[in-house]
Amino acid sequence: MKRFTLLAFVLGAKLLPAQAVSFVREVQPILAERCVVCHPAKNGAAEVSLASYAQVAANVVAGKLDESMLSIVVSGDKPSMPKVGGPLKPQQVELIRRWIAEGARDDSAGKKLDETWWSLRPLDKPPLPELAGRTVVDRFISAKLREKGLVPSPEADRRTLIRRLTFDLHGLPPTPAEVVAFERDRSPDSYEKLVDRLLASPRYGERWARHWLDVVHYGDSHGYDKDKPRPNAWPYRDAVIRAFNEDVPYARFVQEQIAGDVLFAGNARAFEATGFLAAGPWDFVGHQELREGTMDKKLTRVLDRDDMVATTVSTFTSMTAHCARCHDHKFDPIPQEDYYKLQAVFAGVDRADRPYDEDPAVNAVRRELMSGKLSLQKRMQPLLDKVEFATTPEIVTLDDRIQDAGSLLAHLGEPKNAAQVLEKKELEARRVVDREARQKLVDAKVGPATYAAIEVLKAEAKILDQKIADLPAPKLVYSGAGFFARVGNFRPSLEPRPVAVLERGSMGSPGKLVTPGALRCVPGLDAEFAAGDEGARRAALAKWIVDEKNVLTWRSIVNRVWHYHFGAGLVDTPSDFGRMGSKPTHPELLDWMALWFRDEAKGSMKQLHRLIVTSAVYRQSSKQNEAAAKADSDNRLLWRMNRMRLDAESVRDATLAVAGKLDLTMGGPGVRMFAFKDDHSPVYDYSIFDPDSPGAYRRSIYRFVVRSVQDPFMERLDCPDPSVQTPKRSTTLTAIQALAMLNNPFVVSMAEHLAERVKGSIATAGWLVLGRELDAPERLGYDAYAARHGMANLCRLLLNTNEFLFVD
Amino acid sequence: MDRRNFLMNSGGGLGGVALSSLMAQEGGGLHHKPRAKRVIQLFMSGAASQCDTFDYKPRLIEKAGQKWDPGEKVELFQSNPGVVMPSPWGWKQYGRCGKWVSDLFPHTAQCVDDIAFVQSMTTKSNIHGPATFMQNTGFILPGFPSAGAWVSYALGSLNDNLPVFVVLPDPRGLPPNGSANWSGGFLPATHQATTVRVGSAHPIYDLEAPASAKYITKDGDREGLTLLEQVNRRHMRGREGDSRLEARIASYEMAAKLQLSAPEVLGIEGESEATRKLYGMDQEITADLGRRCLVGRRLIERGVRFVQIWSGADNGFPRRNWDSHENLAKDHGELGTALDKPVAGLLKDLKARGLLEDTIVYWTTEFGRMPCSQGSLGRDHNPNGFTSWLAGGGFQGGVSYGATDEWSYKAVEKPVYCYDVHATLLHQLGIDHTRLTYRNNGIDRRLTDVHGQVIRDLVG
Repeated sequence: MKRFTLLAFVLGAKLLPAQAVSFVREVQPILAERCVVCHPAKNGAAEVSLASYAQVAANVVAGKLDESMLSIVVSGDKPSMPKVGGPLKPQQVELIRRWIAEGARDDSAGKKLDETWWSLRPLDKPPLPELAGRTVVDRFISAKLREKGLVPSPEADRRTLIRRLTFDLHGLPPTPAEVVAFERDRSPDSYEKLVDRLLASPRYGERWARHWLDVVHYGDSHGYDKDKPRPNAWPYRDAVIRAFNEDVPYARFVQEQIAGDVLFAGNARAFEATGFLAAGPWDFVGHQELREGTMDKKLTRVLDRDDMVATTVSTFTSMTAHCARCHDHKFDPIPQEDYYKLQAVFAGVDRADRPYDEDPAVNAVRRELMSGKLSLQKRMQPLLDKVEFATTPEIVTLDDRIQDAGSLLAHLGEPKNAAQVLEKKELEARRVVDREARQKLVDAKVGPATYAAIEVLKAEAKILDQKIADLPAPKLVYSGAGFFARVGNFRPSLEPRPVAVLERGSMGSPGKLVTPGALRCVPGLDAEFAAGDEGARRAALAKWIVDEKNVLTWRSIVNRVWHYHFGAGLVDTPSDFGRMGSKPTHPELLDWMALWFRDEAKGSMKQLHRLIVTSAVYRQSSKQNEAAAKADSDNRLLWRMNRMRLDAESVRDATLAVAGKLDLTMGGPGVRMFAFKDDHSPVYDYSIFDPDSPGAYRRSIYRFVVRSVQDPFMERLDCPDPSVQTPKRSTTLTAIQALAMLNNPFVVSMAEHLAERVKGSIATAGWLVLGRELDAPERLGYDAYAARHGMANLCRLLLNTNEFLFVD
Repeated sequence: MDRRNFLMNSGGGLGGVALSSLMAQEGGGLHHKPRAKRVIQLFMSGAASQCDTFDYKPRLIEKAGQKWDPGEKVELFQSNPGVVMPSPWGWKQYGRCGKWVSDLFPHTAQCVDDIAFVQSMTTKSNIHGPATFMQNTGFILPGFPSAGAWVSYALGSLNDNLPVFVVLPDPRGLPPNGSANWSGGFLPATHQATTVRVGSAHPIYDLEAPASAKYITKDGDREGLTLLEQVNRRHMRGREGDSRLEARIASYEMAAKLQLSAPEVLGIEGESEATRKLYGMDQEITADLGRRCLVGRRLIERGVRFVQIWSGADNGFPRRNWDSHENLAKDHGELGTALDKPVAGLLKDLKARGLLEDTIVYWTTEFGRMPCSQGSLGRDHNPNGFTSWLAGGGFQGGVSYGATDEWSYKAVEKPVYCYDVHATLLHQLGIDHTRLTYRNNGIDRRLTDVHGQVIRDLVG
């Protein structure tokens, strides 16, 4: 290797100088590979673009190396460019320098580099490969396989197919009766009928909603310190399940989540869907306890909006806009300003419970009243602030004393002796006196006119409040809210807060103020939004995302769906279609599916599933093929089906199902599978939970998902941290996971239930867990083990087999 | 199946790093020759005061009770700045280095010649949750891997029969943020910490089956695991070429080994009376931390890479961590006394056994406390200046790095973020912090974000 480098260098240095360096053939390829990434034709980092000769020339002084920026930044021991991927190779630097020294001649004839990244290129219908196949999907896959001299694997057997499909679409195993019926059904459309049956079942929505909740990092508690439960997060979870089951067109599904309250006012599901905005973690202390006006308060809000931006953009468009918080995106054409324009979209949004109604008529009245309350609050708030922030040195002194008494009282707790009883009494008395004195000082400062004005507005508010109270009790969903009742120091913005570009992401250096907008890099779309009210901003973003010209949106979703069916996406980084992400293995197929989904299927998820799972590529066997593995060891070209380990929820749900305990009740508040104590910091203890408690047999999607302390059983099976957006789960196989499968009280209890269920029949246990007849040698081993150690132990063993935990 | 194959197949992110971790295991270090192999981190939950422990400022005594004016607007978490408040403890000089330590830590003070103090710590949040995240993961947001998880990812195990990263929480409860403080974040679940509840009846989740399941016996499990392996091997026929199936078989062998080795490592019955005394196990107030520090030593002695020991639970009432807003003398007094002898015992014991040579002991907290009073007896949060310290593993003893101002308010000389401490820690473990990365959501993430300088002065 060393010798080759040396040789190349010698060649470069000694043999080539005779010929002048060509911009097109020698310099431009280096720039294309290493520089244009951050310095594309438009919006280049540091306002430098290097996509054409003219743009490069602007950074070069012909013949003068020391004055040419391009030469300066890439030369020397520690070149300042490129920022990523290490310095250029010495011979590359040499070529650039020689080209400049020789006069920086242009032989490009005006030719620009094609710097458009694949994911931003227009969606054009690709030509269909002239090959046979069950579906169009197969034609594209076969064409690629053929290029490599590979062929698809034969179709899997019937038992494998029904097990694969049922886990894939339901996250549950087929029952023995379903396996037998499918094996016996020889009608030509038996497979398609099975697909239709599975897609029509509510179990489908429960399974696929779980995937979606991974991507949006849904949780039922806030996270951080004081990880309080969110008792009203679940309506969002249920809305997602319902949307999948009802096959809500994707564009509608997206719009409901970002701005369902605005775009589909009065529609309960659309309102619940806005729980998306608040799905991520929330810093209770920073929002509710921290004082208004501090730097930390501002930082808390910036980071809260950051989560909304990151979640929205990566979920729907698979772009990593959040990488542009501190500087222009280093790899993708996303200037810092675009990022802050996205923050401005959410500048009026906090996370809080919001009321809504099933009855549209009631809801219409409620919206009217709420809008009245909002405008009233806008008038009243400045007056209230006058009172709240009234200050004089005397008031400050009293504040300190009042606070001191409060904290001493808290520290004292329940008095344990006479002295402490007395101390408590004195502190309380002192606080009463101080509070009264403080009130007097504040009153004097504020003056009666303000109080009178407040009283007038309060009387108005009272009328509205009464009208609201007279309505039927609303439902609540934890969602993005611009207006809500104040709690502690957590108060609504009422108007969108001003958003400034923060240099280096620092709170200390706010730059220019921005108006709402989206990513300018998506071609053919206007990324500037009107600076309207809070709801209008979200509505504009929702419309921008689902616009049929938004090539990212349509590519993103078909790839996600493909990823879950095959265990790997055509693009293996489902939330990153930028330069740091993977490139598509089958770009034509991806584009074809995106267009088909958008235009033919009209955004129907069920049609997309049907297209994919009825293909021959999906129905292939997962068996090894040595020759193919040599050519494509990761099976990126899909010469076989990928074998998959069940995810945590499927393990748990399948275990409940085979034990005969699965409770299919749908929806409602999350099941708390832990002991809970709402202390200063709430305590979640999983170790003393009885796996046979009421509700414990529900499907895993109905678990109450805690952020600060995860369920150890689920965590060990790779259930992701609910504070992290997870477009793709990892699969590990560890000792600690094996212990969980062997000894966790849940598995042990289900093994016992399974043993009761099969009433001594090992064959039945085999059918239930593995979906097939046990053969003679197997039964011999199992019989002997059950005879010595009991049926429950045998059932426990079956639940630990690779055959149960993997799907072929 | 050998360990190399197991690692290759047990899933998740086994690219360059895990491969090199095999080399690390064989003594090479991930990026360069390591000075240390293991870490014991002691975390003071709730924010331990610097100006009552290791940051001596005579000015606070001089100006006691006077109006405090650091010359700039001070923004506090809960309160307005009170008067200058000297420590309720006296101060003495210790060791050859002459380090000033308060009377709260008389035992730890005897070890100052083995300790490198970072006196100029500073952090990015004044709120417990984010700041505790930062000190653990380098970020003030949830969802990032903790230092222990990164070390596990980088270096892997020294002993396949034990977890790589073990956390020993305070028995009074979990710190702010709960177990998310030792999360593996987006790293594969292999790198999550194993929580060991020292002193409880079932210290490790699912190590044994529930006692109520009487039919589950050692014999039955031994036979069952043999049968399970046969069944799984049979299942592999016709499924060649999928190493995960083999890896899952191996995971049960390792589980069985863990079942055998865990009780041994957690059982301290074999430790001498003198050792127990050294850790303060003979006195009620120091018994718990003494026991946990001793277990910490036993864990690293047997090859656990990273042990994290917590002093303090959440910030609630009655006070059960270092968050002494109301009565610092009482609350710091109790926590400090409970901590001092066990920590000193740990340092002395590690040193006597030659383990301090290649074991880093890292003492830290999420931020410091103000030099002025809050109310009459407490101190509010101070993110601008606090103390962490490191000992062993090539860290220089008797060194104090950086300084706060005359008030112990703000780091003014060589300010240090957790990035720099983490970078230095990784450096000692043979890891270049800029090259320990994991791609998540479009970014090559690091423990040190985009920051961090190895503090050469601490490690010579």
